[in-house]
Amino acid sequence: MSDYQHSPATRRILTSLVPVICPPEAAELGITDAIVDHVGLTMGVLPAAFRAGFVLGLRTYDLGALAFPPARGRRAHRLPPELADRYYESWLHGPTPIHRQLAIAIGQLLKLAHYEQPAAQERLGYRPAAWIEQVKRRRLEVYSADIQRHAQSLIEPDPLPGIAPHARSSKKGAA
Amino acid sequence: MVAVARPALRQDVRPDGVYTRDDLHGDTVLDADVVIVGSGAGGATLAAELAEGGLDVVVLEEGRYWSTRDFTAEASQMIRQLYRDGGATMAIGNPPVLYQEGKAVGGSTVVNGGMSWRTPEKILDRWWREAGLDGIRAKDMEPYFERVERRIHVRHQDPESVGKDNLLLKQGADAKGWKVIPNLRNQVHCPGSNNCAFGCPTGAKQSALVSYVPRALHFGARLYSDVRVARITRDGKRATGVVGHVVRADGSNGHRVTVRAKLVVSACGAIHSPALLDRSGFGSPSGMLGKNLSLHPNVKLVAIFDEDVRGWEGVHQAFQVREFKDEGLLFAAVNIPPSILAMTTSHRGAELGALMADYDKMVVAGMLCEDTNTGRVRNVGGKPQAFYQLSDFDADKLKQGCALLSEMLFAAGAKRILLPFALGPHAGELKGPDDVRRIFSEPVPKQTMEVVTVHMMGTAAMGSDRTRAVTDGFGLVHDVDRLMVCDASLFPTPIGVNPMETIQALATRAAHHVLSNPRRFS
Ligand SMILES: Cc1cc2nc3c(=O)[nH]c(=O)nc-3n(C[C@H](O)[C@H](O)[C@H](O)COP(=O)(O)OP(=O)(O)OC[C@H]3O[C@@H](n4cnc5c(N)ncnc54)[C@H](O)[C@@H]3O)c2cc1C
Ligand code: SF4
Repeated sequence: MSDYQHSPATRRILTSLVPVICPPEAAELGITDAIVDHVGLTMGVLPAAFRAGFVLGLRTYDLGALAFPPARGRRAHRLPPELADRYYESWLHGPTPIHRQLAIAIGQLLKLAHYEQPAAQERLGYRPAAWIEQVKRRRLEVYSADIQRHAQSLIEPDPLPGIAPHARSSKKGAA
Repeated sequence: MVAVARPALRQDVRPDGVYTRDDLHGDTVLDADVVIVGSGAGGATLAAELAEGGLDVVVLEEGRYWSTRDFTAEASQMIRQLYRDGGATMAIGNPPVLYQEGKAVGGSTVVNGGMSWRTPEKILDRWWREAGLDGIRAKDMEPYFERVERRIHVRHQDPESVGKDNLLLKQGADAKGWKVIPNLRNQVHCPGSNNCAFGCPTGAKQSALVSYVPRALHFGARLYSDVRVARITRDGKRATGVVGHVVRADGSNGHRVTVRAKLVVSACGAIHSPALLDRSGFGSPSGMLGKNLSLHPNVKLVAIFDEDVRGWEGVHQAFQVREFKDEGLLFAAVNIPPSILAMTTSHRGAELGALMADYDKMVVAGMLCEDTNTGRVRNVGGKPQAFYQLSDFDADKLKQGCALLSEMLFAAGAKRILLPFALGPHAGELKGPDDVRRIFSEPVPKQTMEVVTVHMMGTAAMGSDRTRAVTDGFGLVHDVDRLMVCDASLFPTPIGVNPMETIQALATRAAHHVLSNPRRFS
């Protein structure tokens, strides 16, 4: 895990892409910043070369809008919503696999980040933590004897056929 | 040159015998009978058997030590902690194949689905016949499978743990008259929390972390997490130990760790074992090291029903549809959290919002395809890179699989189905059984397929002939003394079922071989 943090420029570009990629509820729920932060966390564990390529790609995406006639000399992060959308589409169906792959990767990171937000999950009625707690408790109530029995079996001797049983080794520590 | 101070982080849950980067305050040199690199399905199993057999075992693991209580439903946090490179590793090819590997004490078993199947008899026969492996046929392997199944508690699910998505899958198979069987899983009364891919938060799944690792520690093995092995040391043709470094919190190299051992085992998985051997200068005379990579390519589709399904309530893959096993296809229901599901669709903006509003009505189903092509792993800039071309035959099989799976889910009452072909939001959607014919009639360009895998195999394959295989039938590397491979790399061919139990049975058999030949390894 690296200690990657977005530069202000990367943050600006990603923030401008949230309304393009995420459902409109991102603005309603006030989670845009949290989404962009989350993208940073994911980028922190990506292979370093991939991460560097992605950051470079984002810069290129931003600057590339200068050559997109409808943008009239504005960078991507300054485009109004409808144009920002068209510009993103132009990359998604872009001339090279690099255009398309970058657009897909941007989309994937932002969508992942959006639906990792508790507020977005709550909207879907997705409450896995409560479910886990409920079934975990029930398992312990109903099956604790079996659970114990198996845990005990894991430390009982059971030598392979023809192999003499050995007492537990006392070798411990690294010295 | 040893500096070890025990207590630090997570002392309350970290068992005796597990050391982390917090314990290693200087360069460290260790001696052992056996050093095992990697603590996953192969490494942990071997460690437990050898330690019980009285050998002094050191296990080195690049990932961290996490315990059951660290595992939550926060999917992306768990992915960052438990998967290599955030689960975003890619085999280069057309299409690229996204593959995932666990990186933690317990290896990929910590994040796997727990499906536990013996190697099919016809595959073992093929290994015996084509790779010249003795003592590998079903009757020979039987005691090893039994032993593994006892240890990891392989059972069918308790009925109350099965959720509606799986019942719908079964209903669809029954309606078509197709063979569908309850899955066998390594679990002790799994209550169906549906969190397997992010670590089992109940402790029910008997991953290596909670089965073979504690057993290995109990019998005296020492396990060092946060240690990345750089290379295997040698003296002529004999492997003598390993050298690596502590992995700091930011991923960089810390203090040096050296282990001197009488037997060196690479159990890093099918991507990293060939890379480690290659980095260490152990090329195989067969020229097969890193080659023969099979992947069981996998695609998923999303079926949307009118009724509430709540696929996240209940175990995933409670059933397997086996009707097309002879053609190399298995189907199962595999719920995924909304964030991952959203990420894998081509929808965005308001359209994504509308789609996800139906999240609770979705059944996600996937297939495992026994592949016919092989790829390879190469070291590029000191890191392993996988290359794999999906064959036209397998691409067609995946397409046919999608058609069959769609038919089945429509038979179960699905209203629409999203396909794993990136043809845009509508072209990749089926509205009813009549649309299924479309998949058969329209060409699906390979490059539009979203193919993923979690079953990498075969890159240091076993075989009796040193000119054709990397290792012998016990994983001992041909033409090298005291070097063993013990992981999914060993498979001569793909196996068409989930691989964990095969790896564990082979590891048990390898341990038996080592313990039965003490003079060879002392
Ligand atoms: C999400 C997922 C779901 C799966 N579901 C199933 C299933 O249901 N049933 C099934 O049978 N199989 C399943 N599998 C596959 C199965 O888990 C793997 O095939 C199996 O764990 C591989 O075992 P292994 O010993 O080869 O490697 P792993 O279990 O991956 O262990 C290798 C270990 O080596 C470590 N390592 C690598 N390089 C180094 C190094 N240089 N230094 C130190 N340590 C290193 C890694 O960090 C890792 O922990 C799944 C896998 C995944 C990822
Ligand atoms: S479904 Fe069962 S095995 Fe999987 S994480 Fe939940 S309790 Fe553990």
